[in-house]
Amino acid sequence: MVVGDISTGTDVLVIGAGPGGYVAAIRAAQHGLDTTLVERDAYGGVCLNYGCIPSKALITGAGLAHEAGNAEHMGIHADPAVDMEGLGGWKDDVVDQLTGGVEKLCKANGVNLVEGEASFADENTVRVAHGGDGQGSESIEFEHAIVATGSQPIELPGFDFTDEEVWTSRDALAADTIPDRLVVVGAGYIGMELATVFAKLGTDVTVVEMLDDALPMYESDVARVVRKRAKDLGIEFQFGEGASEWQESPDGGIQVVTETEDGVESTYAADKVLVAVGRRPVTEGVGLEAAGIETDDNGFIEVDDRMRTNRDHVFAIGDVAGEPMLAHVASHEGIVASEVIAGEPAAMDAQAVPAAVFTDPEVATVGMTEAEAEEEGFEPVVGEMPFRASGRALTADHTDGFVRIVADEETGLVLGGQIVGPEASELIAEVSLAVEMGATLEDVGSTIHTHPTLAEAVMEAAENAQGQAIHTLNR
Amino acid sequence: MSTKEFKLPDVGEGVAEGELVSWLVEPGDAVSEDQPVAEVETDKALVEVPSPYNGTVKQLYVEEGEMVPVGDVIISFELDDGDDDDGDETVEAAVEPDDTEMEAAEPETEPEPAAEPEPAGVESTDGETADVETPEGRVFAPPSARRIARELGVDIAAVSGSGPGGRITETDVREHAEATASVEPEPTPTTEVETRDAETRDAETRDAATGEARTAEAATPTGVEPAGRDNTLAVPATRRIAREEGVDIDDVPTDLTRDGEPFVTEQQVREYARALEAAVEAEAAAEPTAGTDTADAGVETATPTPGEPGTAQRPEETVPYRGVRRTIGEQMEESKYTAPHVTHHDTVEVSALADARERLKPRAEEQGVSLTYLPFVMKAVVKGLKEYPILNSQLREEDEEIALKKYYNVGIAVATDAGLMVPVVENVDEKGLFELSREVHDLASRARERKLDLEEMRGGTFTITNFGAIGGEYATPIINYPETAILGLGAIEKRPVVEDDEVVARPTLPLSLTIDHRVIDGAEAAAFTNTVMSSLNEPLLLLE
Repeated sequence: MVVGDISTGTDVLVIGAGPGGYVAAIRAAQHGLDTTLVERDAYGGVCLNYGCIPSKALITGAGLAHEAGNAEHMGIHADPAVDMEGLGGWKDDVVDQLTGGVEKLCKANGVNLVEGEASFADENTVRVAHGGDGQGSESIEFEHAIVATGSQPIELPGFDFTDEEVWTSRDALAADTIPDRLVVVGAGYIGMELATVFAKLGTDVTVVEMLDDALPMYESDVARVVRKRAKDLGIEFQFGEGASEWQESPDGGIQVVTETEDGVESTYAADKVLVAVGRRPVTEGVGLEAAGIETDDNGFIEVDDRMRTNRDHVFAIGDVAGEPMLAHVASHEGIVASEVIAGEPAAMDAQAVPAAVFTDPEVATVGMTEAEAEEEGFEPVVGEMPFRASGRALTADHTDGFVRIVADEETGLVLGGQIVGPEASELIAEVSLAVEMGATLEDVGSTIHTHPTLAEAVMEAAENAQGQAIHTLNR
Repeated sequence: MSTKEFKLPDVGEGVAEGELVSWLVEPGDAVSEDQPVAEVETDKALVEVPSPYNGTVKQLYVEEGEMVPVGDVIISFELDDGDDDDGDETVEAAVEPDDTEMEAAEPETEPEPAAEPEPAGVESTDGETADVETPEGRVFAPPSARRIARELGVDIAAVSGSGPGGRITETDVREHAEATASVEPEPTPTTEVETRDAETRDAETRDAATGEARTAEAATPTGVEPAGRDNTLAVPATRRIAREEGVDIDDVPTDLTRDGEPFVTEQQVREYARALEAAVEAEAAAEPTAGTDTADAGVETATPTPGEPGTAQRPEETVPYRGVRRTIGEQMEESKYTAPHVTHHDTVEVSALADARERLKPRAEEQGVSLTYLPFVMKAVVKGLKEYPILNSQLREEDEEIALKKYYNVGIAVATDAGLMVPVVENVDEKGLFELSREVHDLASRARERKLDLEEMRGGTFTITNFGAIGGEYATPIINYPETAILGLGAIEKRPVVEDDEVVARPTLPLSLTIDHRVIDGAEAAAFTNTVMSSLNEPLLLLE
């Protein structure tokens, strides 16, 4: 028995206050359930503190600096200097504002906040260990639990995250100086976003990727737009190479050693190496086995469409409950779990799960690609609108990319969309709504869109798919 | 090796749904093309659904006794032949669009399935919004419709959509839920909030009643049977109440479910707790019927909501309103609320008819026919129809015309265990008494065995209903829509008749003729009845 051990009870216990957990807790409390939210580190989780939000802040800052310094063709002459401390300070203010907001919202909704690390003692109890000496711990009995412990970066053999030269995305976002040279291992969305940020801040960036393209999870013509722009920004790509280790370099920096499948080694000089090869669920220390909660081969907690684990009264949401590991999915799952607990007829049956990558230009997709639609047995029809044909894209001086909309030819029902280009992350919302609502090409194409906007490109793509586009040549 | 799904085909009569009476195969069974795999009861007929493939039964999607809308997947097959397409696909029996729009637009013989009132465009036959085949795994429905589906316990994938491109609307979901309502309608799992509201209302109502009333209500023995489940879902607040009340949540009776698991509400816990208390009190009381005096008060003031679990109810039995029963109901409703009914009654003295039948009977028996009065009535009716063609008609409102039929197909209403059937005897004017007798007997017996083809219940122009076979004099028959008249026959019995100012006993036949007053006037009805009566009063006139 730990000194100071106290025991309380709650209807719903949520472990982890990330975008899944805090949303779940608030919704449970809104249903009149006594709700306790346990967080070991920071309200808002990785998303608000070390992920989505700070990265977007840096992307904005770096983008602004880069554009200001590259607008001579518009008659604008400037040579912006970025003070990393100032940029970082502004970013931290944004983060603080949002995380403070989360805490306030939880309290205002009557959620009991507990700081500490929760682990299951048995199927109806967690023990929360409070940080610091003599803080003791407490046991909380619960009727229902929601596990929302999130994910953490996957470590790469040969790259110890405790080494100062090795960055995780979290380290990169907390950097107080701009490295001269950066090797990014992994050309997925995290690697590409941060490579773009540092390239725009003046770093020489080399991206090492095992596969043969950047953003390999996207269609090649989508990825091509991003890769081309990245090269224009001076980013070098080394495809087909896996990073094996790093060494200190005699000249003071480091060398990142890579290997091809055939065993051909290369070395790239750098000051820092950012490892961004994916994320894995956080389950160690949670005591899942004490509650009898099962995980799959990849360590994700297995859940059904109500977010229930194999234990009826325990739910799991967000990254720890499997792909897609996206903050907005976590929030939605959190709402589903809490509503199910409250006896509502909720379920996770979203047809449209959009995803966005904040590269330059942005990439955003939802629903099916043309190939996926074919696999599903549809006869897809595709419509496209390149941004170079968009008045707003030209006036925004961002004409790379296109909007593509995929629909079922027979019925016109929208099946998905892929957007690469300016504000893709915003534009995808319209396509998501179309997919989720079961809208047809006609619905989208016949909806009046504001002129001049980027969103007109979605309308035009829908009309293009129907062979009725005005501003592009119909196929 | 490919998987093929098979949808319940439209068995060709515009039937919207059928009850899957029995499976003739099980998963794993080898089937050959055209081998019957299921028996489906549509409105009037038991139809065997044949397999479209050679292969193995993979999965049955529908339980026996379930109502299945046409176009829903009922079974899937594993095909062992190297099919061209390797993808899974759903097959739907080809639906033949009716080519005569008139026929398509009119319901046929009673109880022809006038289908569920469906929103325009659901039917795959109207080509406007064809029943869209969406590949497996993608259902087009907005979140709001999905939520309602979960609320009503509807598998969204089984709903056919009426929206653009087959998109499923909230209305589609609700209609599907109604169409597939199970034998014992389960109370719809409402949302917690709604439940709570209902409970609060209920509680308030009960609180208005006296304490004794509660006891009387709760003392229903069914209310205190511990359910004794292993597992029960309930929200934490409910579990807390159970603990406070000292009730085992697994014992609380419920017919609510969540995700297939029994689900208990706070209200049910309280009800059960009260019922337990009351049962204890009732046992303690000397009177076996505790609190009869106050029970009335309770019944008056507390209003048990039917279907509300935990609410004491008066004993009742529910009979499914489905299949044939519902089809009949819908037909009757359509007829009654479309055609203004007027019934004309009269009685005919039938001594001569009785003699004629007696004389003909032995001859009929030689031919293996049991001669009844019905063929005589049919002939008399046809004679009347020829004289007053307006009674052998159909109103086509949309075309602004009344069709006077030049053929005489007389429907004969037959009471069967499954409900009312109306087989049609065609071209009565061209058939003799014995032939009619034979045909009526055959149709009636096959109707009782449920072996009539739907075609044999179609195309009538006038209907006779012989309720007198069971008993009675007069009735107000409902027209077999879209016909415009129906003749009801009472029982032929000796009744007082006035002859030469003397009251004498004579066999008489009471007649009840109902007409569609939009088309037929009372005078025509009376004149027609007179013609029929004169033929029955003097059968020789049938030879005219």
